[in-house]
Amino acid sequence: MNDQVRIVRFSIFDRLFHVGIMVTFLTQAVTGMGRLLYSTAWGKGVVNLFGGYEGATTVHNTVGILMIVGFVIHIAYVLAKVEWKSWHRSLFDADSLVPRWADAVHLGQKIRWFVGLGPPPAFDRWTYWEKFDYWAVFWGMPLLGVTGLLLMYPLVTSYFLPGWVLNVLVLFHRAEALLAMLYIFIIHFTIGHFRRGMFPMNECMFAGSVELEEEAKEKPLWIARLQEEGRLEEVMVAGPPHWYRVMYFIFGYTALLTGLYLLFTMIVYRNFIEWH
Amino acid sequence: MRSQRLLRRSILWMALGGLGLLLVFPAVAPAQEEVTTSIRRYKDREASTGYYEDYEVKPRRMRPFVGVPGVLRPSFPYSPKTGNIRIRTYLADAHRSVKFYKAQSCVECHAEEARNVHTTRGNITCRQCHGGEPIASIAHYFSPLNPVRRHAYVCSKCHEGSDASFATYVVHEPKPGALETRKTFPSLFYANWFMYLLVVGTLGFFILHTLVWVGKESYHHLREKMQREPEAESPPEKPEAQEPENE
Ligand code: HEC
Ligand code: HEC
Ligand code: HEC
Repeated sequence: MNDQVRIVRFSIFDRLFHVGIMVTFLTQAVTGMGRLLYSTAWGKGVVNLFGGYEGATTVHNTVGILMIVGFVIHIAYVLAKVEWKSWHRSLFDADSLVPRWADAVHLGQKIRWFVGLGPPPAFDRWTYWEKFDYWAVFWGMPLLGVTGLLLMYPLVTSYFLPGWVLNVLVLFHRAEALLAMLYIFIIHFTIGHFRRGMFPMNECMFAGSVELEEEAKEKPLWIARLQEEGRLEEVMVAGPPHWYRVMYFIFGYTALLTGLYLLFTMIVYRNFIEWH
Repeated sequence: MRSQRLLRRSILWMALGGLGLLLVFPAVAPAQEEVTTSIRRYKDREASTGYYEDYEVKPRRMRPFVGVPGVLRPSFPYSPKTGNIRIRTYLADAHRSVKFYKAQSCVECHAEEARNVHTTRGNITCRQCHGGEPIASIAHYFSPLNPVRRHAYVCSKCHEGSDASFATYVVHEPKPGALETRKTFPSLFYANWFMYLLVVGTLGFFILHTLVWVGKESYHHLREKMQREPEAESPPEKPEAQEPENE
């Protein structure tokens, strides 16, 4: 691993945010599923890990507030990263996660490639599905956070909104949570772990760096751009140390198995999952 | 002679045994009720409303052909006991003349109503909200669950400080996807279909996208491998056969 040429892809902050959301998201998934399936033996068992129904609710609420705080910090971080003097370039260039017209073109090319009518698209730094991953979480967080906060204090909510709004909020909260879990456990996991060449694990979100040779195939435009701007040397780094790799493999696989177990449970208990 | 005595004796023992069985059987009690005698129930009602519906004060044997519109079935309204009360919206006892009421639990007849968070998660019994016998119809003028006093009489027992707004929370939610919910709870109906389309659309598109992608990548990989293997034996002759490395 250490004799490869590697370039930086994620800063230490990006990685910390990712680890943070992994831990909090899975905690919410476990406590939330335990509460959702409380009428089943599985749900009671899970909830008991947290000290019963009230315990699981407390954990769910506390971690929810932590997530909101993390999200606010993330927004501050993102706003601080934008170069406001040249905001237009900073927001819309290829290093930004803001969707561009090119993403739609790439999607079209990808579908063309799927049906065998053309070559696969050549990507720059962020592919359209990576951008979707980011923005899906970005909008999911406030939706779950706001509905969750309102449901946490139903009485206070009813002082400035009619009480029946709570019924609708529960529906939004559950549906969005189910969507988020299914998306992460099926699609995000497949792309990150089970694609050809990714197995057993796409390490870049933990290592922070990627192998130059591989990336030149995956994201040719990015590498070409770095070379053109003469910044390729600048972004080269050493690979992750061995102990660190062992750590994130254990951590990553714990998260993966937790998610797959929850997915399995959702399938087994599908008839008990109430949408509203 | 002997056989007759035997018969008489056995009938006697069977009767005694039957009486004994009566002791073993559980006492008949209204569903989930703590207070079981009819006298107490009558007192409860008197204390709770002090108000009598027309049919409650009618004599036992009613005059035929006299009906109470909307309450008694017009065709053969002999007595409130036998009368089939169709509209139970305004009754002091919603279960008046409902058959087999005493022998069953609430959920056996109202299965749908048990699907609410108070019951499934909060472990709240029906009676903690609906009260003791008799259970009034929701819209009965003196019902504790009548919307005019629901927040004060019921919800605030547990949710301290609840007001009329809070009490508009629908405890027994209708099925959000059902068509009639569009009339009874439109915002829930539309929210449900919006989220449904969002979930199905997002997952449908991306699952298909991922499946095709993974499948196609594996296919290209396999083909390359099969093309490379004969190359080891014979010299490479087809340079254009090299597929672009597809990701
Ligand atoms: C034998 C079956 C049966 C049992 C047991 C039963 N109910 Fe009912 N209940 C009915 C029927 C039938 C009606 C009238 C039809 C309707 O409105 O759904 C009714 C009506 C009601 C209503 C009034 C609905 C309205 O429109 O206002 C309430 C409230 C109610 N039941 C609550 C309960 C509770 C609480 C229990 C348990 C203590 C219970 N029921 C047990 C059959 C039953
Ligand atoms: C948290 C308090 C609460 C609990 C617990 C509760 N109910 Fe209700 N119930 C209500 C309210 C409030 C209404 C008025 C309509 C509404 O909000 O759905 C109602 C309405 C009803 C009705 C009228 C028809 C309808 O669905 O609107 C029936 C029948 C009924 N309840 C039966 C039950 C049964 C059976 C149980 C126990 C499994 C139960 N309820 C538990 C509060 C409660
Ligand atoms: C006997 C006690 C009791 C009564 C009476 C009661 N509740 Fe509740 N309620 C609870 C408990 C316990 C919870 C917590 C359940 C949970 O955490 O899921 C709760 C939760 C709620 C919630 C939050 C639901 C959610 O999905 O987060 C609402 C809204 C609510 N009750 C409304 C009402 C209304 C309206 C009434 C009056 C018709 C009422 N409650 C009567 C005990 C009660």
